[in-house]
Amino acid sequence: MNKEQNDIETRCDNCSPLNEEEIRKTVEEVVGQTGRDGEKVILILQEVQKRLNFLPSEALKHICRITDITPGQLSGVATFYSQFRHIPAGEHIIKICTGTACHVKGSTLISDSFKRTLGIDESTSTSIDKLFSVEEVACLGCCTLAPVVQIDNKTYGHVRPNQTEEIINDFLNSMDKKGVTEEPPEGDQIDAEVRIGLGSCCVAGGSREVLESVMEVKKDYELNIRLKAVGCVGVCNQTPLLEIVTGDHLHSRYVNVRKEQVEEIILKHVKPRNISKRIKSGITDIANTFLSDKMLKSPVNLPGEVREKYLDGFLNYQYHIATIHSGVLSPDSFDEYTLFGGFSALEKCVRYLDPRNIIDQFLQSGLRGRGGAGFPLARKWETTMNSADSTKYVVCNGDEGDPGAFMDRMLLESFPFRIIEGMTIAGFVTGASSGIFYIRAEYPLAVSRVRHAIEVCYEKGVLGKNIYGSSFSFDISIFEGAGAFVCGEETALIASLEGRRGTPHLRPPYPAEKGYRGHPTLVNNVETLASVPWILNNGSDAFRSVGTPASKGTKVFALAGKVARGGLIEVPMGITIRDIVEKIGGGVAGNRKFKAVQIGGPSGGCIPESMADTPVDFEELNKLGAMMGSGGLVVLDDTDCMVDMAKYFLLFTHRQSCGKCTFCRVGTKVMLDIIDRLSKGTATLADLNELEELCNSVRDGSLCGLGKTAPNPVLTGIRYFREEYEAHTRGICPTGKCRDLIKYVITDRCNGCTICSLQCPVDAIPYTPYEKHVIDHSLCTKCDNCRIVCPVSAIETPNVNA
Amino acid sequence: MLKIRIDNTGYEVPEGTTILDAAGKAGKEIPTLCHKDGVTHYTSCMVCMIKDRHTDKFLPSCSALVQDGMDIVTSGDEVTEIRKKAVALLLTEHRAECEAPCRIVCPAGLNIPLMNRHLSAGDMKAASELSRSELTAEEFRCISCPGYCENACRRKKTDTPVSIRNIQLFIYSSISGDKTIQRPDKQQSEKTEKSTKAIDPGHVRNQFSSRTGKLEEAEMLEWLKECEPGIPRHREIPSFDMAGEEAKSCMHCDCRAAGDCRLRDLAKHMAVKDPRGKITGSPITKKINHQTGLIFESAKCVKCALCVRICEDSTDDPALCFLHRGFVTVLSEPVTESFENVLRKQADAVIKICPTGALSWFGKAREA
Repeated sequence: MNKEQNDIETRCDNCSPLNEEEIRKTVEEVVGQTGRDGEKVILILQEVQKRLNFLPSEALKHICRITDITPGQLSGVATFYSQFRHIPAGEHIIKICTGTACHVKGSTLISDSFKRTLGIDESTSTSIDKLFSVEEVACLGCCTLAPVVQIDNKTYGHVRPNQTEEIINDFLNSMDKKGVTEEPPEGDQIDAEVRIGLGSCCVAGGSREVLESVMEVKKDYELNIRLKAVGCVGVCNQTPLLEIVTGDHLHSRYVNVRKEQVEEIILKHVKPRNISKRIKSGITDIANTFLSDKMLKSPVNLPGEVREKYLDGFLNYQYHIATIHSGVLSPDSFDEYTLFGGFSALEKCVRYLDPRNIIDQFLQSGLRGRGGAGFPLARKWETTMNSADSTKYVVCNGDEGDPGAFMDRMLLESFPFRIIEGMTIAGFVTGASSGIFYIRAEYPLAVSRVRHAIEVCYEKGVLGKNIYGSSFSFDISIFEGAGAFVCGEETALIASLEGRRGTPHLRPPYPAEKGYRGHPTLVNNVETLASVPWILNNGSDAFRSVGTPASKGTKVFALAGKVARGGLIEVPMGITIRDIVEKIGGGVAGNRKFKAVQIGGPSGGCIPESMADTPVDFEELNKLGAMMGSGGLVVLDDTDCMVDMAKYFLLFTHRQSCGKCTFCRVGTKVMLDIIDRLSKGTATLADLNELEELCNSVRDGSLCGLGKTAPNPVLTGIRYFREEYEAHTRGICPTGKCRDLIKYVITDRCNGCTICSLQCPVDAIPYTPYEKHVIDHSLCTKCDNCRIVCPVSAIETPNVNA
Repeated sequence: MLKIRIDNTGYEVPEGTTILDAAGKAGKEIPTLCHKDGVTHYTSCMVCMIKDRHTDKFLPSCSALVQDGMDIVTSGDEVTEIRKKAVALLLTEHRAECEAPCRIVCPAGLNIPLMNRHLSAGDMKAASELSRSELTAEEFRCISCPGYCENACRRKKTDTPVSIRNIQLFIYSSISGDKTIQRPDKQQSEKTEKSTKAIDPGHVRNQFSSRTGKLEEAEMLEWLKECEPGIPRHREIPSFDMAGEEAKSCMHCDCRAAGDCRLRDLAKHMAVKDPRGKITGSPITKKINHQTGLIFESAKCVKCALCVRICEDSTDDPALCFLHRGFVTVLSEPVTESFENVLRKQADAVIKICPTGALSWFGKAREA
């Protein structure tokens, strides 16, 4: 570790520290492994960057020299994807999530705060000591912990702008610690199984620390328990989650577990076998009872119903198909997956069923693609199957990029075997012999779990040649996306697989006819494939029985935003939005008023509270101007500004546009300019009309789904919240969210405690103890620190023009 | 064969035909910009939009394939409106000037930048011809004009305007052979003939003209790349050499493809107005390869990728490519090459195919 660090430091001391010889050697090594084929360009660039920290121009030149990649292709690709860096980055990268959920919880302020703390101005992104680089990333997929910051691989949730220094120090301290090493369970007879969620959200919530404590406790008391890391449970905002299953099959679940509580919790359920340890635990128990009142508040003392009520409300209204056995299955265990009926669907298919017959079952089931548009699965499979081409591909689209959506990540992290099974069945039905996982690079955990699962599947013979003794052979590989939201569009995804810039093309030809390398390619979303084994195991009627007439089955949503209980939920189609928010989500947090939900991310729209009784259904949502999208569901309360939301999404689509067609490239820019003026209070009513008109043109005229749906957030905003838009033309932001239209003032409630003055990063509040503080508006950056820390809520943010 | 309707008439079309081709066979004209026969489809400009009433969707006809049952509309308000919008959006990012400020304000509409190009190339004859053909005798000497051209000259913002009037005066005197006010009779007769077919001085102002909008300092510097650096400046123009030298300080604010620009033609044809606010986000950069004589002006590029597409297969002659994505997508030489090094063989081809003035010959105007 240390050696590596030194290496990077020497590289970063001056900007071209690597000698050209060394760069060329690295490139040659990489190319030696990847091959010199033009299609490998993204992989080559990723590997080179991994080794050299960035892409020096000599490396690019040398890649052109020794591979089939042309300078034009290389330059186009190396600048298209946001993963590639052309200047060296700091030793540690601070990724600030700017996903929807993080945005509504103030990620802009967090980003400003980190940059200020590290002395990073607009011209650079790296601190002077080259230790940290700050990057704003689309979505880290930990929406329920918003706002989220990730430093290298360590994630911090619920960050506040005044904590940045603390976080940086904590990160630097934590670097010396060793990672967790898991021990295999000993003995056959165990007293209990302790399950800990290790999804990304859980890890961010501190579940690794909890896991460590459990291991310590286990060692200290010589407990005979099995420790099991499970995938995402869905209760992402209450992490870490710990579940104990004792010998009598009693389940006890604890939310928000802190590492100090672990000992207590475990000892309540499991008694040490060793007599001396038993005494030790008894003494600890007594001592705790006498010495502190901590025990009284401890979750251990709460009756089970109270403790789990929270979870029951969250879990009761759900229906698990894609996420079945969540919180039980260990993501890495093949045996466990098969124990719960895994791969039986695949076996049934390849041994006894005819592809035609399988397609009929899916036609019966009414399963529609879960990637957003809702295209019937059976028809897509049929087109691919009917093609005469002997080479066919199946691609699992895991390029989930919607800010505010993380269900694909969770499915890949928690149920890799299930998706592999779904994909292999798809391959069997369509007659494809290779499958490709396209997973975005921002999901390293998903990539490593899927990679591991694939290896195991090969060992167990469910992948590779002659699966289950049949004549069917299937291979699966992984392709890591390089950071481009547009690659979620299937034609762009294929362009990216082929080593080109991720620009979509007009369909038809559909990939199912002419896709990857010109061969028929079936592109299915992760969630769609995850539902496949369930339908074959339980029958299409079981699937049909759930949902609405046009939308069958369930949908996984990432519920986040201003909701009391956020997380990953799988609900039956047809459930109303209000039920999701109130029954599952527990209503809006903090006694605020439920204003709207943003559904479907940047392609979706805002549905106002008045229409919250709309059922979740592809067509119903389209009617409202929103769409199912991939399933982000962000709840907004009365402090959220609709113009600000529209601006946020437009900025996202505008940045993620591939730049090919006029309407999306220029149209979104002009729209963004108008929205920007609205948020600054300088737009007129005429501008608002122009905006609406332009939205319609961009929707009608864009080439692919990204552009066609980009105006939805604006159009629904204008449709349902017109008065709010009009207020902005008068220079007033009714919710006080648009930073340019508000000012920070200190009211008479101020008691002169000086906390705000000490917290102000730009010294805009003079230090005047026992006097009412005053904010110097010429210095104030509206970072919100003072408002957060004020103990008497004396700081208000009225409109400038009110 | 697929059965479709185009503008209410039924047709049978073989599978795999584009709507553009089908409509062309039916005698319908659909405007295009990023499409050229024989070059692979790219579908970027969206100028060729048509509407399929069957699905109630707009489709780019150049690459959309006919489907059975399509009911295509190639003209009419809706279709015209969306095509106009596409052109208007292209013009929003097209930060270019069809005509130079000096020419626009010239009461006679003389093509001053072209005259300067002739002079700096040492072609006195062409320069004289130009003046003679565009100006009436009165205008020729620029005596009565207060010099709007020099006032509008962009060069004025950096130092002094190009001495346009004195150059004209010199051209006049060299043609007429004397410096008196009288014109030779021969010229007089030609003048009467000319004035009948003379272009209306206001023609330059009346036709469609794209404007750059407010220029930033850095952008002015880009424009200065068009001038030869360190060339002596002359207020008085007593000789041909000096006229040539002074002409070299011209920044060539006009577009070399003013007469051969698909975008301008479309704007004119569809009566699209130049958008009020150009987006200044696309910076004006000029790259000149003095060896091949190629000039590339990024802000004029409409990202149609025609030049990229025709050079895609060339391995020995590095071509242009797109860098970045979204609105900041820019046509450029590959990051591994210098501009001097690209398109040594294919410059001619890319200039010919460019639908705007983004790629041109540095020294001469492009002809239609």
